[in-house]
Amino acid sequence: MFERFTDDARQAVVLAQEEAVALRHGWIGTEHVLLGVLATGGDGARLLAGFGVDAAGVRDDVVRMIGRGEDGIDPAALATLGIDLEAVRERVERAFGPGALSRRGHCRRGGVSMRVPFCRRAKKALELTVREATSLGERDLRTEHLVLGLLREGDGVAAKLLTERGVTLAAAREKVAGRDAA
Amino acid sequence: MAAQQTRDLAGAVDSTDPQVGLAAVASLRTLVERLEELHVANARERGWSWQEVGAALGVSKQAVHRKHGRRRRLLG
Repeated sequence: MFERFTDDARQAVVLAQEEAVALRHGWIGTEHVLLGVLATGGDGARLLAGFGVDAAGVRDDVVRMIGRGEDGIDPAALATLGIDLEAVRERVERAFGPGALSRRGHCRRGGVSMRVPFCRRAKKALELTVREATSLGERDLRTEHLVLGLLREGDGVAAKLLTERGVTLAAAREKVAGRDAA
Repeated sequence: MAAQQTRDLAGAVDSTDPQVGLAAVASLRTLVERLEELHVANARERGWSWQEVGAALGVSKQAVHRKHGRRRRLLG
């Protein structure tokens, strides 16, 4: 799938992985791909800047919405069970002090991989990126096509954050197509 | 993160995705392990015997000692 990605688009995927690892999230979700696109600063970031979307604001919202995880503890996964890791951390730290939840009594298993898998919605968004570029008659997949893929996926955290900021698939497509035609 | 946000997030995360469901199980397990370490260490600091700690956790004193015996200074 990545053969047709431009260097920028590949970079966005690499940075998506780094965002997920830095936040101690257990998988690459659509929100990390969005952060990757913004951090790469290519045509995708410029497209989003046109809607007033910036990296710092999105990152703040991701942290506010999902929170930071711990090694081996994913906050978004726990949220699907109705567990608020932030609330758990707060109570545990109140009882046992700052960092109590991250304190390890023993060493981690050796050779724990820092690679994080894609969740299904993020994979779907990448597939839709290919389709968006193809329908625009583009061979190369650029970061702005990643933005279209995230919007077309529609149900993930990235689509939610973008919709909240007034970015619609129709408007984004129009801008991308308009520029291509120019 | 407020309860409402937890619900919003749960809607935006696909809980039928095996990646998500299995990560939830693994995260819960790790969280339980972390809490167990903290509370066992706390009980020992307060002078509880391994017998008492095991009984409260629903396991034998041998099992709890084998697992936590070498981590007594966790809170120290």
